[in-house]
Amino acid sequence: MEDWIWTTLVRALAFGTPILLAGLGEIYAERSGVVNLGVEGMMAVGALAAFAVAQSSGHPYLGLAAAAAVGALIALPFAFASITLRANQYVAGLALTMLGLGLSGLLGKPYEGAPLAHPLPEAGFVAAALLLAAGLWFFLRHTFGGLVLKSAGENPETVDAMGINVYAVRYGAVVFGGAMAGLAGAFLSLAYRPSWADGITSGLGWIAVALAIFAAWHPLKAVGAALLFGALYHLSYRLQAVVSPEFLKAMPYLFVVVVLSLSALRRGPSGAPEALGIPYVRGERR
Amino acid sequence: MRKGFLALLVVLLGALGFAQGDKLKACWIYVGPVGDYGWSHAHDQGRIAAEKALPWLETQYVESVPEAQAEAYIDRLVKQGCEVIFATSFGYMDSVLAAAKKHPDVIFAHATGFKRAPNVATYMADFYQLYYLNGLMAGALTKSGKVGYVGAFPIPELKRHISAFALGVRAVRPDAEVLVRWIYEWYNPAAAKEATEALIAEGADVFAFTEDTPTVIQVAAKKGLPSFGHYSPMKRFAPDQVVSGQLVHWEKIYIDFLAKVYAGVYTNKNLQDVDYWWLLPQGAVELGGEFGEPINPKFVPALKAKKVDHPVFGKISVYDLVMKELALMSDVELAFDPFQGPIEDRQGKLRVPAGLRLTKHELETMEWAAPGVVGPWPNEPK
Repeated sequence: MEDWIWTTLVRALAFGTPILLAGLGEIYAERSGVVNLGVEGMMAVGALAAFAVAQSSGHPYLGLAAAAAVGALIALPFAFASITLRANQYVAGLALTMLGLGLSGLLGKPYEGAPLAHPLPEAGFVAAALLLAAGLWFFLRHTFGGLVLKSAGENPETVDAMGINVYAVRYGAVVFGGAMAGLAGAFLSLAYRPSWADGITSGLGWIAVALAIFAAWHPLKAVGAALLFGALYHLSYRLQAVVSPEFLKAMPYLFVVVVLSLSALRRGPSGAPEALGIPYVRGERR
Repeated sequence: MRKGFLALLVVLLGALGFAQGDKLKACWIYVGPVGDYGWSHAHDQGRIAAEKALPWLETQYVESVPEAQAEAYIDRLVKQGCEVIFATSFGYMDSVLAAAKKHPDVIFAHATGFKRAPNVATYMADFYQLYYLNGLMAGALTKSGKVGYVGAFPIPELKRHISAFALGVRAVRPDAEVLVRWIYEWYNPAAAKEATEALIAEGADVFAFTEDTPTVIQVAAKKGLPSFGHYSPMKRFAPDQVVSGQLVHWEKIYIDFLAKVYAGVYTNKNLQDVDYWWLLPQGAVELGGEFGEPINPKFVPALKAKKVDHPVFGKISVYDLVMKELALMSDVELAFDPFQGPIEDRQGKLRVPAGLRLTKHELETMEWAAPGVVGPWPNEPK
């Protein structure tokens, strides 16, 4: 029994890490008022950048930096379209996912099947992700910067009235989200696998988007949620001997639907940022 | 003189024209990326080898073709002048038949399928013999008596392979179990990894799998546990842990088929009964984790040290047993077959009566599980 709890916890932490990293980024983006459905795509290019740089330079940490930079970079056109041009955020995000998956698949061809000489340990990523969650919670809860970020998502007019540029805040949050998704990808290609393959993200980006909602946009709750997803995913293979595998495979996703329905039924505010998904237009009343 | 010159010119032009018409264009459709290091990669290696071996052959391929869109891709290939089209996924079956009707002049060959037409042949290089041999080695190497198997989909092909594997495991270690976990995807490294981790947590200490990446090998190798490669030479991903595996030589089938098309033996009218079911004797499959090396030398001492009491060979080491049965199964006489009766399924029902073997049709439609297989088994006959 003890062994069961221990192995489940270890696997939950490992599998939950990419979801947590990308989910934290998405929480920040959404807290600033921007829904970015491009997480899957940003994760994929991050994974490729990390692997390509780590493999050619021999320094895995350089790969890590490259993943964050490339993730942030590919989030920029999305930010431009959805914040500056005020395009539909959902459509722009889906486009980003397709762009990221396609681009990484195309550019990743030479790296398919190549081994990585110096992989990173999973445990390092796990610890870093947990620390990041705590740090991001602190920033959001206890600093002026965090207050501005939250206000940009709740009531952007106030932020504007304070003389702070709402667009800049949202750009920053989206780009930060991209960097985090890139790091999540780096975890996959540098530690979890560690190798590159087309489609390496296999839907994890979408779970990260669900995680942001499920955790009620709270960085610390996101840790618990990521652990829960990780545990469910692990158990879906562990319990195959006793429960139908088809059901187990659907379980994590079924769980998302159930929890989202429950939180929608709950009275009072859902915890979603008031201005989530609404492009900000300066000087216009909502 | 002038007449002679003209005649020469005619001959030369004719030869030129013949030389141009002489080329045969064959095209391949892959379900995955050619870099997947599994199924599609192996087919593409076969294509490259065929192109090298046949100077008159011109090839082209499209990768990652979704099964539902195969027909549109086939139409495009026909427009581009493909005379022979190889469709390399089971799911292309109905699209291939529909396309074959639409393009009666084009010759089609469909891998793993069972529906044929005057211009559609089927072909398969099957691994069940190799799985049995891998099973023998796995049975010798497991300490816990639990062998892990990560499977893609519970379909007859995998059930046949896993059962052959389990029969091999039990032939060496009668109390061993083969723990099976399904991931319901041909290609999903993350799922393969978590399934392997789950099997490790259950106590499995030797691994085999059906998934299109070396993930299972990599995860097992991290814990120092031995495993068997699948489809491609995967030993390079864990040179100290990959014991053996299954390798394919699709080019054997491709070269044979294309040469017969070229020679006019196969036409768009006579393929109704052309069905390749190639195994060890035809050289379409090979035992090993690396070409030319049936067993990783690092594991040879352990396999030689493990002795079993064999009903035919008497006391024999697992290494010798593998080599002997490999030789028997590589011979056209096929003096040995893994599915040689009497064999009961895991529920105790007699599936292969004594003295009989499973027919090709029975192998292709196999749903029962051999004794020792532990885990869910959808569509298991009662």
